[in-house]
Amino acid sequence: MTLVMVVDDDQDLAEMLGIVLTGAGIDVDLVSRGDEVLEVFRNNPPDLVLLDVMLPGLDGIEVCKLIRAESMVPIVMLSAKGDSHDVVRGLEAGADDYMVKPFRHPSELIARIRTRLRRTNSDISGLLVIGDLSIDVTAHEVSRAGKKIALTRLEFDLLVALAKEPGRVFTRDALLGEVWGYRHSTDTRLVNVHVQRLRSKVEHDPEHPQIVMTVRGVGYKAGVLGGS
Amino acid sequence: MNRNIFAFRNSLASKVIFSTVLLSLGVVWLTGSALYSQLSDGVKRVNLDTSLAEARSSFFNAQYQFLLVNDAKTEEITRTVQEIIISSTEVTLNQDRKSIFLSRFGGSAKTFRTQADLDYSTATDELDISSFPTELRQRVRASDLVEYQYATVKYKNRTDANVLIAGKRIAIPKSGNYEMYLVYSLTNQITTLSLITNALLITGLVLLVLISLITWLVVRQVVRPVRDAARIAQQFTDGDFSQRMKVESSDEIATLGTAFNEMALSLESQITRLENLSRVQQRFVSDVSHELRTPLTTLRMASEVIYGAKASFDPTVARSSELLVAQLDRFEKLLEDLLEVSRFDAEVAVLEPVNFDLVRLIERCIEDVRANAHDQPISVEIEHETEQVMVMADIRRVERIMRNLLSNALDHADEKPIQVSVIATATEVGVGVRDFGPGMDPAALSRVFDRFWRADPSRARVRGGTGLGLSIALEDARLHNGELDAWGAPGYGAHFVLTLPLVAGSQISGRPIRPQPKDYPQQF
Repeated sequence: MTLVMVVDDDQDLAEMLGIVLTGAGIDVDLVSRGDEVLEVFRNNPPDLVLLDVMLPGLDGIEVCKLIRAESMVPIVMLSAKGDSHDVVRGLEAGADDYMVKPFRHPSELIARIRTRLRRTNSDISGLLVIGDLSIDVTAHEVSRAGKKIALTRLEFDLLVALAKEPGRVFTRDALLGEVWGYRHSTDTRLVNVHVQRLRSKVEHDPEHPQIVMTVRGVGYKAGVLGGS
Repeated sequence: MNRNIFAFRNSLASKVIFSTVLLSLGVVWLTGSALYSQLSDGVKRVNLDTSLAEARSSFFNAQYQFLLVNDAKTEEITRTVQEIIISSTEVTLNQDRKSIFLSRFGGSAKTFRTQADLDYSTATDELDISSFPTELRQRVRASDLVEYQYATVKYKNRTDANVLIAGKRIAIPKSGNYEMYLVYSLTNQITTLSLITNALLITGLVLLVLISLITWLVVRQVVRPVRDAARIAQQFTDGDFSQRMKVESSDEIATLGTAFNEMALSLESQITRLENLSRVQQRFVSDVSHELRTPLTTLRMASEVIYGAKASFDPTVARSSELLVAQLDRFEKLLEDLLEVSRFDAEVAVLEPVNFDLVRLIERCIEDVRANAHDQPISVEIEHETEQVMVMADIRRVERIMRNLLSNALDHADEKPIQVSVIATATEVGVGVRDFGPGMDPAALSRVFDRFWRADPSRARVRGGTGLGLSIALEDARLHNGELDAWGAPGYGAHFVLTLPLVAGSQISGRPIRPQPKDYPQQF
């Protein structure tokens, strides 16, 4: 059974989240303090972390960085602040997705969690080559010259989404649908921040990307196969 | 040239210097004139006294000589006359030219009829005797005393000259009565007087220059702090409250500076206090909104769980759960809008422009609004001249503007169709949203963007708007440097026109769509 770690200092909200997630067939581990997260995380590794930004003990952004330092587990930030500053800060700290309180529907939260847990690109398998990167879709591994590159699941999905159709230009909207499972969202910051993070891991020079290329005014595309 | 005049008229220093020079010119002129008249009077009097004293002695000497030769021979008398002429015209070192004029009058002396032809009438230096004042001659003939007069006389070989003439009646033995005149040239006196005049003029001029210089220095001392005060006040207007005047002494200027600085300090502290107050207030609103979100999230999830199980409730509880969900929706929307308004009030709303197709966004908004209106037939027609209008704008805000305009139009459309039009020019794009509902009168039109204002309070709140939608839409449009215009007339519905620059932040130069629709009859 899937285990989701819910980190929120508001007891009632945490309990309610527990009721909703349990109702959807998901096991829940409740943590109320930021500085307790890492210990619980190590003892009982969850499949996904639902992380509030404002936490006693240790700030949610810091917690996110600590988890990211030792695990590629999907992290969804919960924020009471809709301001773009906090959203971008959370994404840059390593979160895969974020939700702003109050959520429109509990089902929306469950859908997000399921998207992050689902194996996307299950329709393709085998090996993709883009530039000097080789992507083993089946084994969920990316390597360059035999050396493995550690990517989060979301970064991997983003890379595969681009690499499976090299040369095709994806708009940010299209990527939001493909990778994050949003029907229509106008929040392109998610894409921008994650493309930057992906580049910092797979590009030789993130300032002059060869793998994930920007198409000005439109979106992104993967560098052509065999390109330098 | 005009600018110089302007600068002159607007400079306190020049005004003060100008009037000071004008006034001192008057004073210098008066004192100079008084001084001149006193000096010249003195010079003339001294000159006159000397000349008359000398003339008296000459006349006395002549009378005395003639008395001595009363019984002498004619030759002796003639020689005496010549000696007198020579001695009388003798010029001392510091004296001007002197002339003498002798003229016999009243016929020859009867006693010496035999020598009747002995006439000693003469004039030295080619004097033109006809230019002598006749009045003086009459006085001399009638009087025993020395008579004198200032006059201008003519010389036959020289230019006219201003002179002092002193005359006396003199009897020459064996010849008769004579008028004897001594003519004193005034050249020396005139030279002296013109010297005095020049000296006075130069002194006056130098005095004037010095006075204006001193005035300038003094005025500068007074005007400089005034200019400083003006400059600092200007900086205050520009928002720099840190400027203060320099206070270096304890005079009136220093009092001005101190008073000014006190005013500045008080202003600064008041403004800071007000700023803090409004910051605290905005912070409070924002905090309240944030704090409300967590319980609201719990509430929403709980209500959804209850709502999801409503099939198992009895009808009243089931309906209650529906109302609960709907009202929580409304509550949440209100919270969002309040938070947005507090951001605008705090001026922390930021624009995040991206490139997108406005036509597609509008079409999507129309679809969404249509999808959410379960119970109402909705007809929205969109007309646009081009397939695509790419704009650089904050897509979230533009979407919110469109949603607000559309839902507002639907609220007031009375189920009649709504028209949406899009027209783009080279620099801006206009989006018109027109409904054909009851419309608005001018009073309503003037308040349509006010917060929480409703066109008709008795009207049912069909779609549950927050009352903040249009005012937020206006702020959103203006954040782009765009504009949101409203038009309405009773019976003609309402027309809201959004005008946005193609690139957010640049200026709009006009309205691609005029707020007043074409089907409205022009009234003149």
